[in-house]
Amino acid sequence: MKITCVIPAFNEEKNIFQVVTQVRPFVNEIIVVDDCSQDKTAELARRAGALVLKHAINRGQGAALQTGTDYALKNQADIIIHFDADNQFRASEIAEVVEPLIQGRAETVLGSRFLEKKSNLPWQKKYLIMPLARLVNRLFFHITLSDPQSGFRALNRATAEKIKINNDGMAHCSEILYQLFRNKVKVEEVPITVTYHQYGQKFSGGLKIITDLLIQKIIK
Amino acid sequence: MLQQILALFIIVFFLIRLFDQKRKKQLNANEFLIWLIFWLLAALAIIFIKQIDQLVAWLGFSGAAINILVYIVVLVLVYVVFRMRLTIAKMDKNITELTRIVTLRQKDK
Repeated sequence: MKITCVIPAFNEEKNIFQVVTQVRPFVNEIIVVDDCSQDKTAELARRAGALVLKHAINRGQGAALQTGTDYALKNQADIIIHFDADNQFRASEIAEVVEPLIQGRAETVLGSRFLEKKSNLPWQKKYLIMPLARLVNRLFFHITLSDPQSGFRALNRATAEKIKINNDGMAHCSEILYQLFRNKVKVEEVPITVTYHQYGQKFSGGLKIITDLLIQKIIK
Repeated sequence: MLQQILALFIIVFFLIRLFDQKRKKQLNANEFLIWLIFWLLAALAIIFIKQIDQLVAWLGFSGAAINILVYIVVLVLVYVVFRMRLTIAKMDKNITELTRIVTLRQKDK
């Protein structure tokens, strides 16, 4: 069973070498999609043992994820993991995330920051932004998951073929959830630990996600 | 009078922002010039609002007619901006698709 990890990266020269090195023991292949970084991200990722795809222009995390997923599917991946380049996820948890797929219990596994394990989420995120995102997911998409915006997920091949990320920016997380539920994919949540080095998505970013989702819905 | 002062403050804020964007090279010379002329004309319109009122009355427009015209123009502008936003979103989507094709083709070679 071929497990491929897709890591979208933009100006991540500080973290990418460490992230790829830590992920390597848990997967068969690592694809880093360098989203037109201005630094040494691509070079360092390659040196750490990743296969590097390079976007000629910056298109956003969602776009980079889809490029990497397309390539992984072409390269005969059986399980595709989406992982962040900023060193906030724990590579050692990959084994726990892919386990339900290997056992055949689920078709997609989503990492959740809100189950048993402790993550150092900023309080605004924990008590304001995430509950709001959960509410939006519940109201608009009828999705009831504990983590509405997790970037750590694993998909089996059949699911990855069904999902097509159209939102180039950060709205892709909600879009993936929506497509999973629309396609009636068997989803399981697994607790993960997230270490925040930066604040990440702000409230304004959340509003942009909602706008992007609406616009994407109109132009579809 | 107070409304005029407030409006002028808002214009000054946008002018400062404009010069800041020019300094950071986020705008090219033509864009800067167009926006500069726009805000300066807006400032002049606010300063000489009474004279403009007199001119409009002399041309035969009543206050109510002007209000309706302004409402229609605002609605048209909102619609135009919305259409533009959708067009840009479609173009964005196409650019992403193109970027992806190029990336995957380059890797295949």
